[in-house]
Amino acid sequence: MTKTKQTASPLTRRQVLKGGSALGLGAMALGLPPAWANPWGQTAAYPRGIESGPDISLAIRRETLDVAGKTARPISINDTSPGPLIRLKEGQDAVLRVTNLLEESTSIHWHGLILPPEMDGVPGVSFAGIAPGETFTYRFPVRQNGTYWYHSHSGLQEQLGHAGPLVIDAAEPEPFRYDREHVLLLTDWSFEDPATIFHNLKTGEGYYNFQERTVADFFADVQRHGFTDTAAQRAMWAEMRMSSRDIADVTGSTYTYLMNGQSPTQNWTALFKPGETQRLRVINGSAMSYFDVRIPGLTMTVVAADGQPIQPVPVEEFRIGVAETYDVLVTPEANTAYTLFAESMDRSGYASGTLAPRLGMTAPIPVRRQIADRGMEAMGSHEGMGMSGMSDMPDMDHGSRSPSSSTGMDHTEMSGMDHSNMQGMGHSPKEGMSGMAPDRADGMLPVGVAQPGSRLDRPGIGIDPDERRVLVYRDLKALRPWPDRRPPGRELELHLTGNMERYMWSFDGKKFSEVTGPIHFEKDERLRLILVNDTMMEHPIHLHGMWMELENGAGELIPRKHTLNVKPGERISALITADAEGSWAFHCHLLYHMDAGMFRVVKVA
Amino acid sequence: MRKTLLTVIAGLASTAALAGAGHSNDDSQASDHPPIDRTLAFEAGDMWFTPDKLALTPGETVRFNITNSGQLEHEFVIGDSEAQMEHREMMREMANGNGHDMSAGHHGEGEADADNMPAVTIPPGETATLVWTAPNNAEEVEFACNIPGHYEAGMNGAIQIEGS
Repeated sequence: MTKTKQTASPLTRRQVLKGGSALGLGAMALGLPPAWANPWGQTAAYPRGIESGPDISLAIRRETLDVAGKTARPISINDTSPGPLIRLKEGQDAVLRVTNLLEESTSIHWHGLILPPEMDGVPGVSFAGIAPGETFTYRFPVRQNGTYWYHSHSGLQEQLGHAGPLVIDAAEPEPFRYDREHVLLLTDWSFEDPATIFHNLKTGEGYYNFQERTVADFFADVQRHGFTDTAAQRAMWAEMRMSSRDIADVTGSTYTYLMNGQSPTQNWTALFKPGETQRLRVINGSAMSYFDVRIPGLTMTVVAADGQPIQPVPVEEFRIGVAETYDVLVTPEANTAYTLFAESMDRSGYASGTLAPRLGMTAPIPVRRQIADRGMEAMGSHEGMGMSGMSDMPDMDHGSRSPSSSTGMDHTEMSGMDHSNMQGMGHSPKEGMSGMAPDRADGMLPVGVAQPGSRLDRPGIGIDPDERRVLVYRDLKALRPWPDRRPPGRELELHLTGNMERYMWSFDGKKFSEVTGPIHFEKDERLRLILVNDTMMEHPIHLHGMWMELENGAGELIPRKHTLNVKPGERISALITADAEGSWAFHCHLLYHMDAGMFRVVKVA
Repeated sequence: MRKTLLTVIAGLASTAALAGAGHSNDDSQASDHPPIDRTLAFEAGDMWFTPDKLALTPGETVRFNITNSGQLEHEFVIGDSEAQMEHREMMREMANGNGHDMSAGHHGEGEADADNMPAVTIPPGETATLVWTAPNNAEEVEFACNIPGHYEAGMNGAIQIEGS
């Protein structure tokens, strides 16, 4: 990462584009970090590698570039992979010309942007895709601001680095102040071909999972819980065709986790001046990996989620699902280096960089945590029963002691639980509904109330809220109510379903190839979407074209998001204003889950 | 633009202060204090203060009229940065403890809180008053809103106390 190289790259790129030349010059960018990952951030004297709106040209090609210090064949955008930072302004009419220099069809989806359906970039839903050699011009008015990203919506291209950050500067002052900003784009790179990864997942469940439970684990469990319970637990997992250690189905055994395209060894560095407030725009642009992000020694104040401002929440750690974005503020006072640490949720690796007053500094990498065991945490109803959550029991008890769920439960150990009653779990009506009003006459819950069976006050598996303050969905509160205050006219319930062993993922038990038609939203209706996760994995569910207002118990101040993480066994809901006429993609944002069939079309008419 | 706005707010604030004078607590409080040397209009928004810094002389007594023009509740607390940090930690503990926000305004009008920091809580759309005398033994203190996250998001400023 030398300065001369960085200076050279934007000129090269521009020359390439201006000349319309598809050939030859790509190699000059070899080994460079994305030029927008400038250590001095937005206020830099040399803001390079940023494509600023409203008129932007992007060239997509497959080329030989270095990734993590090794020769690779990623997909590049304007000769960098991941792609350049696209910077737009609220109120602009953006014109983005995308030229496909691949040998196959491609596309760009502007993730989280509200725009006309034909500009959304999903082949087969919004448009036909961009054929090899063709240029497609995206035109849309920019009517929002914040931190977003963009990526291919064609096949498995996203896994090859066909993604980049997208920042929209606000027309009005934002509800927080900062001196400098940095983008932190997290991705998961593999030197294996994405099709090979998918094939491996299809043919061998647990292919990338080297942390399977062993006979030794079994005897340890017997010692702790007694034979009967252990056997019952085993039977349960067997029945679900899952292994309890399937935290992630593609892991660090094939992935190199990158921060702004750089491996931990390459140590991408963001520079600060002590006392300055830094805005970090954290984007999870990975194909399959959730990350737990922290900066040891600094409190992060979360000020936006999925590009939308929220009431600030000071935390020491936050989990970012695939496709989510969080904006955090940090104010390092000391003249020292801090580690930007993003540990993959399954603990098989991490992305990292450094926040430092000058280049060349490092801080220690935190001690890595052990992989968590899905255990009973995944069972939905009895939150706090996971490996780490025991001590939180008092938190979850507001009004949850319905006779059925408290009978026979011993909160100090797992052995008191009734393992046989899986069906009813997660849906007992009184559970998890602290402070809620009674049901409406039509049987629907009042607006903004968290669903019974939600665990929105829990950070999720393998993360200990007692160790440090961790962001949870329950913390997300809008600054003011969103414009549509109508209660929902109806509820639509969708189950997230799957068969891990056969690597089939679906909604309501049907793969995309098996469904007969789109999900219908009535134009301008207000509806409640209920998502029930029947699987033992997290799924980041993304709706295109419309916001989802997550009913997290914040009443009128519920946050709006483009991607909702649904934890195993969890049931959550979101309010949607179906004001965007047309056809929209709706899917799990785990790339291989989407490709396997966890995808639907929503038609607003 | 900001200046114009500020003038308007100052006008409103003094009206509010006059209107408020009929109520008892403000009067009784004010009588405990030395004469007011200056009256200053502050605006608290989401998430900022205007002005964001201030210079006073030791012993100067100031009446702050703070108008909350934001959507959220704010506070205006004066103290050195260490005390502010402690107060912030306390507020955060409280927020974590009961899982609710800090809306149950624990500062009375113009009262000092448990840490003896001059503090006032201001609901959205309202104006609150705080009378404070710059000490002789400090060169710099902060004014801040310590509702969790608000300080970090920008609601803090320095008061320089310069020898006269």
